[in-house]
Amino acid sequence: MARPKGYFTIAGPDREGLVRLAGTLNALTAPRRLLPPKLLKKAPPNLHADLSGLASLDLNGATYLLTLRESLRAQGFTLVYLGLPPRLIPIWNLAKENLLGEPSAPPPAPLGFFASVGKGLFAFAGDLRDQVSFLGEIISHLGGLILRPWTGRWGSVLNVANGSVVDALPVTCLVAFLVGLILAFQSAMLMQGFGVDIFVADLVGISIIRELGTLLTAIVLTGRSGSAFSSELASMKSNAEIDAFVTMGLSPGRDLALPRILALTLATPALTVLADLAGLLGGNLVMMSIGHPFRVFWDELALHVDLSDMATGLFKSLVFGFTVGVIGCQRGLYAAHGPSAVGEATTRGVVTNILAIAILDSLFAVLFYVLNW
Amino acid sequence: MSSTGKTTPDAATPPPLETLGLVVAYEDDPPLLENLSFRAEAGEILGILGPSGCGKSSLLRRLVGLEIPRAGEVKLFGEEIFASPAALARARQKFGIMYQSGALFGDLNLLANVSLPLVEFSSMPPAAIEASATLKLDLVGLRGFERHLPSAISGGMRKRAAIARALALEPKLMFLDEPSAGLDPITAGDLDELIVTLARNLEITFVVITHELRSIHRIVDRAILLDRGARGIAAEGTPQFLALESPSPAAKAFFLRDA
Ligand SMILES: Nc1ncnc2c1ncn2[C@@H]1O[C@H](COP(=O)(O)OP(=O)(O)O)[C@@H](O)[C@H]1O
Ligand SMILES: [Mg+2]
Repeated sequence: MARPKGYFTIAGPDREGLVRLAGTLNALTAPRRLLPPKLLKKAPPNLHADLSGLASLDLNGATYLLTLRESLRAQGFTLVYLGLPPRLIPIWNLAKENLLGEPSAPPPAPLGFFASVGKGLFAFAGDLRDQVSFLGEIISHLGGLILRPWTGRWGSVLNVANGSVVDALPVTCLVAFLVGLILAFQSAMLMQGFGVDIFVADLVGISIIRELGTLLTAIVLTGRSGSAFSSELASMKSNAEIDAFVTMGLSPGRDLALPRILALTLATPALTVLADLAGLLGGNLVMMSIGHPFRVFWDELALHVDLSDMATGLFKSLVFGFTVGVIGCQRGLYAAHGPSAVGEATTRGVVTNILAIAILDSLFAVLFYVLNW
Repeated sequence: MSSTGKTTPDAATPPPLETLGLVVAYEDDPPLLENLSFRAEAGEILGILGPSGCGKSSLLRRLVGLEIPRAGEVKLFGEEIFASPAALARARQKFGIMYQSGALFGDLNLLANVSLPLVEFSSMPPAAIEASATLKLDLVGLRGFERHLPSAISGGMRKRAAIARALALEPKLMFLDEPSAGLDPITAGDLDELIVTLARNLEITFVVITHELRSIHRIVDRAILLDRGARGIAAEGTPQFLALESPSPAAKAFFLRDA
């Protein structure tokens, strides 16, 4: 007993098909096969197993013997157990009763290729429907808020916005600064060869203001604020806090999601302006390092970057902020049940958001081209 | 071993659990419990009692080798578990444990949770493992829930599933941390009955941490009562003795809580 790995031996089968089992039979001593295929080939179809040598047997051991008998039967052998020591009979019966009981439901069969593709598409469609219906809910709450602005939870809007801007400021600006630096450096190498390195300012300026500043800010906010929304709301859901909210007569969409979404929508353009500035500074630094005075960069920008560039960038950032907020909250509030749901909701929120930002940005590129902005 | 599950202690067979001068302490804090020496005899249900926060779970973590005690020895079936890494690894095959929270693996269904120790440590073929895990779930009354995830069953069912998992390798020693805490009286009663049935039929020694009076009187053969003030065992004996005859003020306070 203090020695779980006792010995267990098998002898046979002899010509009459008699197998002798002896020693301790439990989960740790049971061999994977009672009779190796080689011995089984020579064995007669009627086997007998003598259990009188068993010193101890537990439920695992008894279940093992019983399932073995079944699997041998499937191979065309009958196995009869003989001589079970009387003190082991209660354990034997306990195991046997169980095996004779109701068979448990079979595991669901694995899906075929087409079935799993179909299921995947169906899940995707369901996902999309959830997102659209949540978007509708948020827009209707937003309408309500515009009609009755005094009902808004402006305190929490301010808190979230504050948190998003202040906490995300250093990392956003650093990333934008470095991207501006790299972009300017790469293009300066090229343009210097043609003697047109003054245009580095325009390239960096337009790229940052129209595209990169906006995009970088949205991606940083996805990782910081969007994922925080998903995990906060998903863990509230798994704690039944959302249920408590609903039964109190409050609305998770209006009272939890909307303030977060509004805050992010307002914070994103503000943060984008600062990220733009940091990116431009990075570009300017490279220009200065190749011999242009500080002012040259800004004068060049003033000539070629106009208000519509700034407006497109800021308009996009407004839309991105809204999107990141909506998707982050949606993934949290629609989280599945179970212990892995919080992590899953957060990951899915981030992935969906990055995808959504890329798709929206391409749509905007086409739209602005057509509108000639 | 006799069929009643009770054996008289003798020098030849070491007890399933024995501690000598154990000190339970966290880092530099003053010890929670000092100089603990007690044993659990084969086949008995030993209760470790005491008010919340007196260090019961902390003691348990040392008994099963999750944390090293500041001083003293823990012997399972006569072998000191902290003697060497190999001794600790051997010790871990000798007992089953149910944690206070159940600690089922959330992304495995009940059958897979119970099968896991068998898959990892036994050489039985898969069909026998599945049959055996099903049997364990049946023993704790969870037949039909084999394919359920832990999140899809109630708290009482999760505790029973955790007992089934602890039973997987059929250890002769089981540790249960507050099996009936947070359960309704009927579910708690079922669980108590299950523990007694397992102890008597499978000759398993149980070490049960609990502070539920009803459950103590129903299942515990002998108990030690821990006390924060005494930093150790304040009283020891059968539940009847502790409740009615013990001179210890800690025992009076514990057993006459809301009587
Ligand atoms: N990891 C730890 N580090 C420091 N102190 C701990 C730790 N775990 C528990 N404690 C303290 O030890 C005391 C006993 O806790 P615990 O053993 O859980 O009590 P019980 O199980 O009897 O309710 C408590 O005061 C607790 O704060
Ligand atoms: Mg505890």
